[in-house]
Amino acid sequence: MRVVVADDSVLLREGLVRLLAEDGFDVVGQAGDAEDLLRKVGAHRPDVAVVDVRMPPTHTDEGLRAAAEIRERYPETAVLVLSQVIEPGSALELLTASAEGVGYLLKDRVADIDRFTEAVRRVADGGSALDPEVVSTLLGRHRRDDPLADITAREREVLSLMAEGRSNQAIAEQLVVTERAVEKHVTSIFGKLGLTPAAEDHRRVLAVLAYLRA
Amino acid sequence: MSTRRLLWLVGIAGVALGVGVSTLLATRHFGDQAGGDVAATLLIGWSFLGTGLFAWASRPNNRIGALMVGVGTSWMVGMLANTDIPLLFSIGVLLSALPYAFVVHLLLAYPSGRLRSVLARRVVMVTYVDVLLGSLLFQAFDANIPDKADAPANVFLIADNPGLSNAILIVVTGIGLALVAMAGVLIARRWRAAPRVQRRGLAPVLWTGCLFLATLALTLVADGLTKSEELEEAFGGFALIFFLAVPYAYLAGLLGLGWSRGQAMGALMGGLNAAQERQSVRDAIADSLDDPRVVVVFKRPERDEWVDAQGQRVELPQGREVTAISRDGEVVGAIVHRPSLSDDPELLQGVADAAALALENERLEAELRARVKELQESRANIIAFGLAERRRLERDLHDGAQQRLVALSLQVNLARAKLEDDPATAARLLDSARDELRQALEELRELARGIHPAILTDQGLGPAVEALAQRSPVPVEVEGVEEATPLPSQVEAVAYFVVAESLTNVAKYASASHATVRVRRMDDHAVVEVSDDGVGGADATRGTGLRGLADRVAALDGQLRIESPTGGGTVVRAYIPCASS
Repeated sequence: MRVVVADDSVLLREGLVRLLAEDGFDVVGQAGDAEDLLRKVGAHRPDVAVVDVRMPPTHTDEGLRAAAEIRERYPETAVLVLSQVIEPGSALELLTASAEGVGYLLKDRVADIDRFTEAVRRVADGGSALDPEVVSTLLGRHRRDDPLADITAREREVLSLMAEGRSNQAIAEQLVVTERAVEKHVTSIFGKLGLTPAAEDHRRVLAVLAYLRA
Repeated sequence: MSTRRLLWLVGIAGVALGVGVSTLLATRHFGDQAGGDVAATLLIGWSFLGTGLFAWASRPNNRIGALMVGVGTSWMVGMLANTDIPLLFSIGVLLSALPYAFVVHLLLAYPSGRLRSVLARRVVMVTYVDVLLGSLLFQAFDANIPDKADAPANVFLIADNPGLSNAILIVVTGIGLALVAMAGVLIARRWRAAPRVQRRGLAPVLWTGCLFLATLALTLVADGLTKSEELEEAFGGFALIFFLAVPYAYLAGLLGLGWSRGQAMGALMGGLNAAQERQSVRDAIADSLDDPRVVVVFKRPERDEWVDAQGQRVELPQGREVTAISRDGEVVGAIVHRPSLSDDPELLQGVADAAALALENERLEAELRARVKELQESRANIIAFGLAERRRLERDLHDGAQQRLVALSLQVNLARAKLEDDPATAARLLDSARDELRQALEELRELARGIHPAILTDQGLGPAVEALAQRSPVPVEVEGVEEATPLPSQVEAVAYFVVAESLTNVAKYASASHATVRVRRMDDHAVVEVSDDGVGGADATRGTGLRGLADRVAALDGQLRIESPTGGGTVVRAYIPCASS
């Protein structure tokens, strides 16, 4: 699986490269800013780009804008954005444009190597990854006549993992239950929230996010 | 020579001149009885002389007095034209029209003594040339002056040429008439432009002067056109009467001016009494000066700064349109008025003096407004500055320490994964992680010091400043901090940042070889001063550092002053009030 890594901090970039390489990824390019990133993605057409949000020159949202542009210009390249801070607004903006092959994670997550590489792989395969912090912020929002109030604690866990972009299988592993049990929970959640069940994981994410955002 | 002495000398000389000319007139050997001429010499000559000296003495800087002395003197000299010693006679004839030129000058310069327009200056100049050069040319070619059989000889005669001299006379007279007409127009303009409060003072001189100019013109016309002796003598007689009246009109004008000044002051007082309820002092002043555009501005105490009644900073115009308002010998404000009012400085001073007391309230209010504005500005700036600081801190934290910590945890995890299979690599990763950790700690320490240095809290301003001085790459001398401290903690904090920022600037921009930090108490202020011997040219309005400092200082109601001439080093001085403690 071919990757391009973009981060202006050489230290972190090299850490990422090493980590991805050891996990079997083929790191085909490294970039220090958004312009460089777009050039390398255009040249190598990787399966996925791992992109830092803040890069020169302004250190604000260069990475986010570059991510949107990559998704538009090179649909075959997935993008995983890494951010120093949690900004649900920009995360959702990125994902609701298309949850397919898009991820948004807090930078700290890279330290959890297995989970991180799993997220990179999932995004590269056309799935999505949304940071648990963002999900819990969305779930924690107060709503009037909150249908989430009817949801059981277990269903809430399943909903969170679903919003993060996990597949039923991954959710089952995480919660140590059978896939069958997860499916039941999912059906129940969709019923309670009045959502139409969707087959593909990323569509399911979109539906859940659209619901949580409203 | 003092003005007083000069005036005495001029007076004595003028009296002597009158006596001398009269004696010559009384002893002449031609013409009629000399009584009339003697009377005209002394009455007109001494009237102008006396009034002129009085005006000169009371307003030494006003040229009107000198001009009147000029009229009187030249008149007496001109009367030599009626004596029989040829040289004196000829001089008299030559200068006999000069007093009229002086009068034109006087009327156009009245009452300030200055000729205000280019046109007025030209008219006056041409008038002098016309009467002097014209007379000289005429005399050079006419043997028969005056037209009397037993008249003395004309010593300036070059060639007797009646045709030429007649032509000269016509040209000179024509120019003279044109000049008189122009003077009339200028006077009429002056009158129209005069504020009501001045007209009563202007009227006597201007109107008498105009009557004189009119009758003079008629005399010239009668002489040149009609050749009618009766008509000429009749107009000439009137002209002489109005001419004589000019000095007395001047005195009447002074009375009138005093009266209208009194009236203006009365109006002002009435206005000021009413000012409490509805009218501002400014309006009262505007009414009394008859200048609706009057602006009253206030000087801010202990600052070289002027504000209007709203506390808005204003630039003080320079020159004739400003009259200072003083209280107890200190300038507290100024009246900005139309320049023509400066012709009557006594009135302006009177109004300014009367207004000083009444303006006290408005002045305090303006000062208060100015302070509120300043505080609002500095508060807004402080907030903006604080936000910018927070943004900077956030960025420093995320891009510095956090980044390192993420990398660190990555390395630790990688090392953990390698621990069994590849212990050597794991050890290298852990070494690198240890270095990362050390640097992250260092960065956090730096960051914390930027927010609020611990040494300032723990040990006070003195050691904190010493620490800054030691860290500075430029040698720094510290003076007086121990004596001046302790100060209230917020004052010490601001003082610290003044020193820190200034020393940073010295190191970055000044190319200095040496810097000095001085802290002292002055009355109820702390004065913090950082000076260097560098290149200068620092500007508080540019660059966020110095402006941020100015705002921090202003937030404590203090002031930051920067002197930084190009090539002359930089002195940053903060005055911070610290009444308590």
